[in-house]
Amino acid sequence: MGLENPFLPYLATIKSTVELTPDVKLLRVELEDAAIRGSFDYKPGQFAFLSAFGEGEAPFGIVSLPRHQDDLEFAVRQIGTVTRALHELEPGDTLGVRGPFGNYFPLEDYAGKNMVIIGGGIGMAPLRPVINKILEQRDNYGNLLVINGARTPQDLVFRPEFQTWMEAPRTQLELTVDRGDEHWGGRVALVPDVLRELAPSPDNAIAIICGPPIMIHFTLAVLKGLGFKDDQIVTTLEAKMKCGLGKCARCNVGDKYVCQDGPVFTLEQISQFLEQP
Amino acid sequence: MNLELTQQIRDQARGLLKSGTVKGVIGYERASDGLTARPFFAYELTGTDQLIFDETCSHNLVKYLLDKKGEKMAVVVKPCDSLAINLLLNEEQIKREMVFIIGVSCTGVVETAWNQKSQTLQARCQTCRLPKPVVYDFLAEQEPIRRLEGELYPDILEMEAKPIASRREFWHEQFGRCIRCYACRQICPGCYCPECFAEQLSPLWVGIRIALGENELWQTNRTLHLAGRCTGCNECERACPMDIPLSLLNRKLEKEMEELFSFRAGLTSEEQPPFATFRKEEKLGFEE
Amino acid sequence: MNLLASKDNLIRWLDLLLHEHVVIAPVRVQGLTLFQPISKAEEVDLDFDNTTLPPKGWFLPPTETLFSVQRNDGQTKLVPAMVERDALIFGVRPCDARGIALMDKPLLQEPSDALYRERHARTVLVGLSCRQARPECFCTSMGSAPNDASYVDILLTEIEVGYIVQVTSKKGKMLLPESFTEYEGVLPTPPEPRAVPIKDVMPAMKGLFDDTYWERLADRCLHCSICAYVCPTCYCFDVRDYSDRGNIERVRSWESCQSSGFTRIAGGYNPRATKGSRLKQRFYHKLLYFPEQFQDIACVGCGRCIKACPVNIDIREIIDDLQQLEAKSGA
Repeated sequence: MGLENPFLPYLATIKSTVELTPDVKLLRVELEDAAIRGSFDYKPGQFAFLSAFGEGEAPFGIVSLPRHQDDLEFAVRQIGTVTRALHELEPGDTLGVRGPFGNYFPLEDYAGKNMVIIGGGIGMAPLRPVINKILEQRDNYGNLLVINGARTPQDLVFRPEFQTWMEAPRTQLELTVDRGDEHWGGRVALVPDVLRELAPSPDNAIAIICGPPIMIHFTLAVLKGLGFKDDQIVTTLEAKMKCGLGKCARCNVGDKYVCQDGPVFTLEQISQFLEQP
Repeated sequence: MNLELTQQIRDQARGLLKSGTVKGVIGYERASDGLTARPFFAYELTGTDQLIFDETCSHNLVKYLLDKKGEKMAVVVKPCDSLAINLLLNEEQIKREMVFIIGVSCTGVVETAWNQKSQTLQARCQTCRLPKPVVYDFLAEQEPIRRLEGELYPDILEMEAKPIASRREFWHEQFGRCIRCYACRQICPGCYCPECFAEQLSPLWVGIRIALGENELWQTNRTLHLAGRCTGCNECERACPMDIPLSLLNRKLEKEMEELFSFRAGLTSEEQPPFATFRKEEKLGFEE
Repeated sequence: MNLLASKDNLIRWLDLLLHEHVVIAPVRVQGLTLFQPISKAEEVDLDFDNTTLPPKGWFLPPTETLFSVQRNDGQTKLVPAMVERDALIFGVRPCDARGIALMDKPLLQEPSDALYRERHARTVLVGLSCRQARPECFCTSMGSAPNDASYVDILLTEIEVGYIVQVTSKKGKMLLPESFTEYEGVLPTPPEPRAVPIKDVMPAMKGLFDDTYWERLADRCLHCSICAYVCPTCYCFDVRDYSDRGNIERVRSWESCQSSGFTRIAGGYNPRATKGSRLKQRFYHKLLYFPEQFQDIACVGCGRCIKACPVNIDIREIIDDLQQLEAKSGA
């Protein structure tokens, strides 16, 4: 059945792994079939399912940029049985990849706009390709403000890239943690408070936000307070998924399926049917 | 409808709501078939007119107290249901001061399904030995009727007499039909684990396959978790859409618990169920 | 032109079909009527009301293997499950046949669900008109009818002298035996199930997402999965891997939106953590989201959920309540 069967993953090999934080690993993955590798096209915001055969499958944002390299990159936080098994994989091990799925951040539509990107914890994963894409085409966008929060300094996922981000033109990177340590000289504050303090203007701006539900909840309130309208606020939803095909029905929010119609939504599209955290 | 009991329940419910003693009253109302009863939550005085009691009031409403821990509720309980109150008190799932118990002296309930009502009492009612609830704050009373004093476990004895192979065949046929809808668990006042073993992933006790092996694992474990805790309301069997005779399992264990420990669940709220206690002198049988 | 089959000829035909097909038909099991593969036509119960479970399980089985993983000398190979034989489902009620047509919408939508698609292509549906409307029935309000031939390959309608045979597809035509004779008589008047007005339910629901109605209804609901599993249109499933002594399989099973783990993600967050939100999802999906996506309400009016619910959550009452609530708040 091959491609005919959308439940069959592509086989892939772990090329390398990087420990990003104590519980997040970057997996670099190469699709085994060269033809599929060549045609596997995706955009920032899209996701794929990774299979640890015998343990199961779970969806992850693709954190690499397409065509940048042949390898796909995923930032996997160990939090359940599938992610535990994925963390145990070593270079050379086989895994499954199904995707790419979902929509993406319509970055072309944001040309010329000021970008406010707000990520908490592993919520930075789907935002990383957005930031890197903007930096790649820096002239196409206005100012870029990135607010990245985490529980502790160690939990800031993309530390190795902070230097590059900070040094980019018209780019401001604001890091904040819930709890500092002896080496931490930065902010110790919650993301919504940092946002309120920095108070980016909503004029000609787009805010992209991803993080734990409670962070999203309070950050949305601040964004609205700053004057951001629902169609200026874009989020990527995390949802339990089993198929990625709009069939298993568990990622259903309103008449939307996170796996097909999302994961990227403007607040305008989903606010009516979101359950309060 | 039993007018006598219904009136007493309504009066009591009105008083409790009017005085603000309780936030709501969990009782019965007429179902959409116009024939049988269904659970009903009265929060306003006007709602109390919907309360009824009759021989179709089979549901064990004690289950609902588990969802209402934060607010004081009144609940209508038949004598058999009241055993579950003691179970939940004993297991510290509910607080006595948060529940107002409207007991009814029941004359038995009949077999019902939606739009169907039989003329005969449920099997458990035919051998019921509880004339009134074991715990209550108010008792809606009526003339008790004469009860049949039959053998408690005729079907269990019959099953025990069968050879193992035919018992296995019987249960495989029954469990083979199970669709894992978990109605048996969801309706059971003794099933309240925040995460049921059947849904735990780590460790994984039982998988998702709706097929004999895992169905059997589910049903036998469910039964064992209720050993010495099942109060015999038999709601699981009534709820089962696949007609699996769950009471045969539950009552087999009830019988074992009586024979081994002289224990029957729910008679008091003080006595710990045998499997919740351990005494040094207990013989385990695997010392050597 | 319709045909006529005497009861004997019908039985003989079924026996004949057994050579080439897996024949799945209503069979009495204790107090239930279940669709089961038969080995002789005489096992079939021809006088059932409706089956305990809908026939959906033969398209989307309660449990099935999606693929297995083979490992040899460090090489991994995925072996997809295949559909082995042609099947014929006999005795499908028109409402249930519509249920399959409704499940087709999400499951056959591209990229289509391979195993479902395969089973669908290799299955013939032989319907059986309803002689009477049961108290829980409301099919005519949900786009079907007791004698609706639209979603089956062959529809049988019982009359005194046998069964009128209506053939609606090529697939059906190819299976007909010569023993069936031409029938020129009229079709009997179908029974009339209860009507459930539904026209205002979609607009009503849009304004009632945060209404306390749902919490109150959830008070009574047990949040078991009976309603979903007896429903001819519910298609939600779960997928897990099984690993047993080196044999690895990816398996899917029915699951329902009422289960607390349905939307709980690793780490514990659950967007539908409350019982009210899960119960609400059931009715919003059936009565609003599905119609918005596929233009049809995800209910066929078979009434199984009404009959099987241990606490009498009655979808007809809910449809009625929602429209009244909205009418009241709009007034």
